[in-house]
Amino acid sequence: MTDQWVTFSQLGIAELVYLKGEIDLANANDIGRAIVARTSDADAVLIDLTAVSFLDSAGVRLLDFIVGDLDDRGKPIKLVVGERGAARMTLQLCSFRTDLLATDLERAAAELGR
Amino acid sequence: MSETGGPDVTQELRLPWDDDPEDLYEHAPCGYLTTLPDGTIVRVNETFLAWTGHTRAALIGHRRFRDLLTAGDKIYHETHYAPLLSMQNEVHEIALEVVREDGRRLPVLVNSVLERGAGGAPRLIRTMVFNATERRSYERELLAARREAEASEQRVRVLQRIVADLSAAPTEAEVAEAVVRAPEPAFAAASTSIYLVDVERDQLVAVASTDPTTGNWDDMPRSSPRAVAAVARRGDLHVIGSMAEAEEHFPDLAESMRRSGRQSVVLLPLTTGSGDDQAIAVLGVLAFSFREERSLSDGELRVIRLLGQQAGQALDRARLYDDARRREDRANFLARTTRSLEEEHRLLQRARRLVERVVPEIADWAAVRLQVGPAGLREDLGGPPPDPDLLAERVAEATSKTEPIFAADGDGLGCTVLPLTARGRVLGTLALRMAPDRRGAEAERMFLRDLADRAGLALENARLYEQERAIARTLQRSLLAADVPGGDPRFAMETFYQAAAQDLEVGGDWFDAFLITPNKLAVVVGDVVGRGIDAATTMGQLRSAIRALASAEHGPARLLEQLDRFCERVDSARMATVVYGEIDLLSSEFSYACAGHLPPLLHEPAGSPQYLLQARSAPIGSRAGDRRRTEHKVRLAAGSRLLLYTDGLVERRGRPIDRGFEILAREYARRRDAPLKGLTAGLADTMVGRDHGDDVCLLCLTLGTEERLERSIGADPLQISLLRADLRGWLVGHAVDQDCVNAVLLACSEAVANAIEHGYRDDPFGVVDVSATVSLDAVEVRVSDRGSWRGPGTDFARGRGLQLIEDSMDEVFFDRGEGTTVTMRRHRGGDPS
Repeated sequence: MTDQWVTFSQLGIAELVYLKGEIDLANANDIGRAIVARTSDADAVLIDLTAVSFLDSAGVRLLDFIVGDLDDRGKPIKLVVGERGAARMTLQLCSFRTDLLATDLERAAAELGR
Repeated sequence: MSETGGPDVTQELRLPWDDDPEDLYEHAPCGYLTTLPDGTIVRVNETFLAWTGHTRAALIGHRRFRDLLTAGDKIYHETHYAPLLSMQNEVHEIALEVVREDGRRLPVLVNSVLERGAGGAPRLIRTMVFNATERRSYERELLAARREAEASEQRVRVLQRIVADLSAAPTEAEVAEAVVRAPEPAFAAASTSIYLVDVERDQLVAVASTDPTTGNWDDMPRSSPRAVAAVARRGDLHVIGSMAEAEEHFPDLAESMRRSGRQSVVLLPLTTGSGDDQAIAVLGVLAFSFREERSLSDGELRVIRLLGQQAGQALDRARLYDDARRREDRANFLARTTRSLEEEHRLLQRARRLVERVVPEIADWAAVRLQVGPAGLREDLGGPPPDPDLLAERVAEATSKTEPIFAADGDGLGCTVLPLTARGRVLGTLALRMAPDRRGAEAERMFLRDLADRAGLALENARLYEQERAIARTLQRSLLAADVPGGDPRFAMETFYQAAAQDLEVGGDWFDAFLITPNKLAVVVGDVVGRGIDAATTMGQLRSAIRALASAEHGPARLLEQLDRFCERVDSARMATVVYGEIDLLSSEFSYACAGHLPPLLHEPAGSPQYLLQARSAPIGSRAGDRRRTEHKVRLAAGSRLLLYTDGLVERRGRPIDRGFEILAREYARRRDAPLKGLTAGLADTMVGRDHGDDVCLLCLTLGTEERLERSIGADPLQISLLRADLRGWLVGHAVDQDCVNAVLLACSEAVANAIEHGYRDDPFGVVDVSATVSLDAVEVRVSDRGSWRGPGTDFARGRGLQLIEDSMDEVFFDRGEGTTVTMRRHRGGDPS
């Protein structure tokens, strides 16, 4: 039921989470559950937000939780956002750590593999 | 002799021989006894001595009369004879038995006279004894004859009752029950069993017994050496009078007689046909047995044979009834099944209906397999399911042979598999397991073939329907899914199509919108007559025709005229209804024409919704209607919403159409401030609900950009994205830069989320009002709720939401009065300072 917003694949060692469309209060919890189900055993996670057209604080909370979970397990994670756009704006407004953010998917995957 | 020479009757005749009185006494034709009052014999004649073998010396003075009687008669003598004699002084024709000297009995009749002396005292008894041997045996014969007559009468009565029962027994089983009850009352048989001939299977089957512990109940072939089968073959009554006889001819019978303690058995074939001009047909065998060796009289044998014929005829009649009834049942079943299948249009439902018809009425398990789609289709019902491997084997065989394979005894599966064919092609199979007594018969096979034929045709029709439906739906979907123009800030559009819920074929409703020139937008909603693939195809043709015919120069009326001509070539488009309009995006002028279609509904920013009732004419290609096509122009204020729709939205059975129009206008007005996104779906949901019998097609167009955006949404997180869609369009329409758009959308969403999560925490029906204005240098958004805020900002996440609002906007004011109003400003063209 969350397939319209989230799809999964593998890129290098990382579980690649591809998000698209608008993520807000209405769907963030369901999307979060779907992501956690796939990433809780992952060695590395890459979340691609380049196709996200809207991200609100509920979406931020979801990403914050996933990042915290991977940090606790000592596993690397990167969030890929465009140079501009709604997702980057929201994450920057929330002052997400710059080391988490990347703009290029391939390069981010390569960094995780190192 | 008298002196006249004639007999002198006053005198004893003088006999020519000397008739000695003593001799007369001694040798009289009856016995004489003279006894004392106590019975002691004092005188006895020679006749009595000769009859009884006693000597005179042994009797006279030594024995009393009663001593000579049998034990029973001694009592009778004391209780009846003696008192009677004492009272009446004489007794007559008393029947007694005298015990002879050798112990044998002599039946006698006795007359006695009591002589009294002077003063009345008994002096002596004279007794005359008649030999009654002959008379007794005569009496016995009479008695036996009477008993025989009574028994015969009893048999006849039983037979009559049985015959009455038989005539009232409509089924074979009831006839069997009636017949099996006859021999016990009629012939005092110990127990009775009945076997019936199963012609189809060439077997004799035990169907009823008054004592199921006796006999052998296995079915037997008619060729069996067993006694019952032998009698059935011969067709004549057979009486086995003794064990020895049974052992000689029928060892099986002897065995079961021994086991159940029987000494004789009657085997009676139940026959029909007179035997003279018709062959005798044996329909069954009645077997009854006796604990003793029983010989049957001619009368009894006659009655038994009669019973056999009566029962045979009743069986024959019942079988004819049974057959007729079964034929009628089957015909009814087929008719009902066909009707019932027709009620379902869809293939899966029809297959399901088929097994539901079959189980449990004629089978305890049934399965339909159809070779459709990649996986095939399977529906089964009842149980337990048969062996899957055997079944698969048989299904494959029936499919490849295109011939039914009927269940046979001992085939290990017990299922009949019928190929379902239509138009020479095997569509699948129907497998069913029937009760054993319902299989095998030729009539049953014909019935099953008939069932398979009908089911095959019904399922093939459903498959074709399904195919056509899928094509029609795909066609319609592909046509409706074609993009309507978007991304133009001068207008926004929302469309909705909902197919009829009640499993009907697709209808011919459609909507379309396209740009004729960069500044002229065409909108269409139409409805083609009919349903299914024809309607979908016609809809496609009309839609293409309108796109091809629309031009910058001609306008709506001319287009409808051209459609009328188009109908001359595409007759299925005749009587289609269309509303067609063109919007000049520069002047905001709306020019429209209605060909038999429902009027568009216009809601301008001020005022209530109005139906556009001008420019009306008859449906496309109408021959009876007014085909003078006219058009009408209205200028639309910025922010106007125009609704085009098909009749499924307003028409409802049992409700006048005016009422439908009223309700639509009201509901449309109520949603004036609702986001455009989701508006058409919401309107359809309110107007017709999910369970509707017609297609619904809607197109809603918002024209121009409102100076001021005002929306009210329910306290539901799902509504936020709908609001965002409107807000985004409005902001883009006012040429607000992208960064500012993103910031305003984020802040507005967070403010609304706050209102829902905090203000309306306890009120799911709360409403959040949003208004937005744009000036040359800034965007201002106001979000208000009337909820009761409790502890704002204590929640970390919401705290983050408030922080986002603060960070993304340049100025934020909170006004907490009755509810909360957040007013936010963001400067255009650049990052917040």
